Amino acid sequence: MSIQFKIVLSLVTSILFGNTALAQQQQIQSEQLLPKDAVTVFSINNISLLQKISMDELVRYEFMSEVHQELFDGSTSGKTLKDAGLDFDQRLNLFYGKTSTHELTGFTFGIADKKALFEVFDDFQVVNSPLNGLEIYGTFFNQLLIKDNRAILIRIEPTMERIDEVTDSIWYARGNEIPFDFFDEPAEDEQILDEQTFEDNPNTPIFPEASDNPAVKNYYELRDSVQVILQQAELSRVINEIFVKGENLYNHDARFAAQLTHNAEGAFYLDNARNLDKSQGLWYFQTVLPTLYKDIQELYAGNVILGDLFLRDNKIDFEVEAQYGPALGSIYAQMNDAKFDQNVLAYISSESPAYFTYNVNLQKAYEQAYKVLLPMLSDEKNAQIAMNVLTLELLNEFINKDALFDTYKGSMFGTFSGIKKVMIKKIEFSYDEETFAYQEIETETQADMPIFTLGFSTTRADIPELVLKHMARLSSRVQRFEHYWRIDNAILDAAPLYILNTGKLLIMTNDEDLARLHPNGYGKAALGKKERSAAKHSGFMYGSADIPQTLDGFPLDVLTPRNAEIVSSLKGKSGHITLSSSETNTSHTAFKLSYSYLGEESTGKHLLDLVNSLYLIYTLNP
Amino acid sequence: MNIILGNKKAYLTNFGITIVQFLHMKYLYMILLFGIVSACIEISDDITLNNNGSGSLRYKINLSSSKVKINSILALDSLDGKPVPSKEQISSKINEFVRILDAQEGISNVLVEENYTDFIFKFSCDFTSINNLQDAIALSIAQISKDKISSPSDQYWLSWDGNRLVRSIPSYITEQIKNYKVQDAELLKDGVYTSIARFERPVVSFENKLSTLSKNQMAVMVRTNTLDLKENQHLLDNTIVLSPR
Repeated sequence: MSIQFKIVLSLVTSILFGNTALAQQQQIQSEQLLPKDAVTVFSINNISLLQKISMDELVRYEFMSEVHQELFDGSTSGKTLKDAGLDFDQRLNLFYGKTSTHELTGFTFGIADKKALFEVFDDFQVVNSPLNGLEIYGTFFNQLLIKDNRAILIRIEPTMERIDEVTDSIWYARGNEIPFDFFDEPAEDEQILDEQTFEDNPNTPIFPEASDNPAVKNYYELRDSVQVILQQAELSRVINEIFVKGENLYNHDARFAAQLTHNAEGAFYLDNARNLDKSQGLWYFQTVLPTLYKDIQELYAGNVILGDLFLRDNKIDFEVEAQYGPALGSIYAQMNDAKFDQNVLAYISSESPAYFTYNVNLQKAYEQAYKVLLPMLSDEKNAQIAMNVLTLELLNEFINKDALFDTYKGSMFGTFSGIKKVMIKKIEFSYDEETFAYQEIETETQADMPIFTLGFSTTRADIPELVLKHMARLSSRVQRFEHYWRIDNAILDAAPLYILNTGKLLIMTNDEDLARLHPNGYGKAALGKKERSAAKHSGFMYGSADIPQTLDGFPLDVLTPRNAEIVSSLKGKSGHITLSSSETNTSHTAFKLSYSYLGEESTGKHLLDLVNSLYLIYTLNP
Repeated sequence: MNIILGNKKAYLTNFGITIVQFLHMKYLYMILLFGIVSACIEISDDITLNNNGSGSLRYKINLSSSKVKINSILALDSLDGKPVPSKEQISSKINEFVRILDAQEGISNVLVEENYTDFIFKFSCDFTSINNLQDAIALSIAQISKDKISSPSDQYWLSWDGNRLVRSIPSYITEQIKNYKVQDAELLKDGVYTSIARFERPVVSFENKLSTLSKNQMAVMVRTNTLDLKENQHLLDNTIVLSPR
């Protein structure tokens, strides 16, 4: 290739792509303020969609909960995001992160009109900045850092463990004794007063007792000081990292940077490997079995979840790719090496507001996990682990794994058929007119019952049948009918559970109609051809939910508060959600979540709804 | 039968709410409160007063029409960020309360029936005097829930002069009722509170217009729904006058 040709080519290239590259560079400005400790990030690329979203509406989202205190004071009233001075040519990036010592949340954004911005953020006070060109504003909870036309609103909280560790260290180094009286009865939960009780009771102790010498801090005063100092130190570290060293998530993790180049309305990033640290359940491994913890970390190395949000006609598609390292990937690949069991489709009614199919090969997954995990566990020089390894190896030898995994193959389906009225027995108090003598009368009343069905693929129907037969001999509550078994009062001590053992499926349901009228499946009333095909051709899972029918009627009481919060966040929405996955291989699995909606609300609102739900899912259920 | 109206010094003793306060322990309390505010509940208090001032108290809570909901709560680890107790923990707390109350002066035959199939709880005890009963309740509440009874007027909500029974709700109960959050007015409407006072002599008059007199004229009953009770905690106040001995 001649030099002239290269020059011409480079000129043409720069003309063709130069502006795009420049625009791209401008577009990534706000991302350059993301702390590299951010584990979860939602980037909204096309925030012009959000121009009409009111600030009041925005601060009601859970993803704003950590930073919204200052925004709830009336300064947002009647204002939109556009009025808040945001630069709609830059991305809005929501982030959440946790290190071993701190938790940090917030968002980064571009600024078009600083004056307008401070009409909303009107509680922020100027704080002395250590760096030229960096403006710092602070409130009790949050810090707003502005450089040029980019800003980061950040909240940093040291972890309780870190605060305790530092406080104890100083406290005992000063020669103090144990600050707690272990012989005192521990405070009961009910003594933590709610706001109303607290305000109504003027005698409520607010401050810890002062020490004898007012110049010397008691334990709790010291602890408060430590918390503030740790907060300030971490903020200084983050400022130094971002604004002096130029280190941020964007240039720290190429996978995140690459994700932002996608032509999508939004991007999602979750580094699950780093997320491990925030899993409370692993603290035992971290402290007592550090070698094993390191092994687990290695197992999860490279496990990152990346997603794109695409806006299409009245639809938002969330396309996610879960990437993992070879060890974890080998387990997932084996697990997902399963043939779809078409028998399940006959038992999903076309009327079901929500259903899912889950298709895995548990035996292969077990064997691969055994191969990968057992050496890790065997290397651990810990008596308890050694005993567990021995037990596992013995079980592996003695148990008939074929019988076990033929009974429970791992593939399953579930449906939610809405709320039905069921009759339950209740007791009423009754009093006669003569003396008001009391008696109890048994009557029937209707109760709302969510109707669920759960079915498992099996090729050893004889084994559950054996169990049920013996249960029936032991309890009159277990009865055999022509096509099904019924266990009285099995559901919440009030309603019967029906078990259908079809030979290929073991189905458990509280839907009497399914057991009595459709023991061989719904026939023509089962899922339509299109839905059957979608479920069949999806990878290891497929799910579908009609939002109004499912969530608006779903009894939140039966969920954990965390999951109830997630469901609540979607309540009142129109539309439909489907979740599908691709085939899994040793390096990745791809998922697609499609959220289609009716056109009444703005697209930006739907986008935020979905982002909010995903935020809750990924931050509350790490 | 005369109904005394316009008496500003209207009192009542709401045993029902009081027993909820007896059981003001974090475990059962959560279930009961949840029952009151979110599900259908039937509460009944029943006091029998002898001429000499002794008597017996029976108290019943019936959550059988809400057992699906109660069971679903018990199946959870926590509710609104607070741990949900097991049936064993609830039972243990109830028995602790019984043990403490039974040891109080003037109190005997303290019995509790716990039915966790239909969620019906029945409590009964005998007392030698109204004051013994109130002192015992106040002391037991203090011991089991660490609630402080701030003044004598909070502690004494029943009075009996040999001819007249005056019932009121202690302020520490009304404060609790005020804090109940109405989540579903219809459900609260379905809840029933029944308060009965029985005597050894005929009743001459009673003040509460909601009251009814038994045909044998020896007992007075007041019934209301839990929503009305939340809105007006003095709804069950009553002054009952008996015929002279």
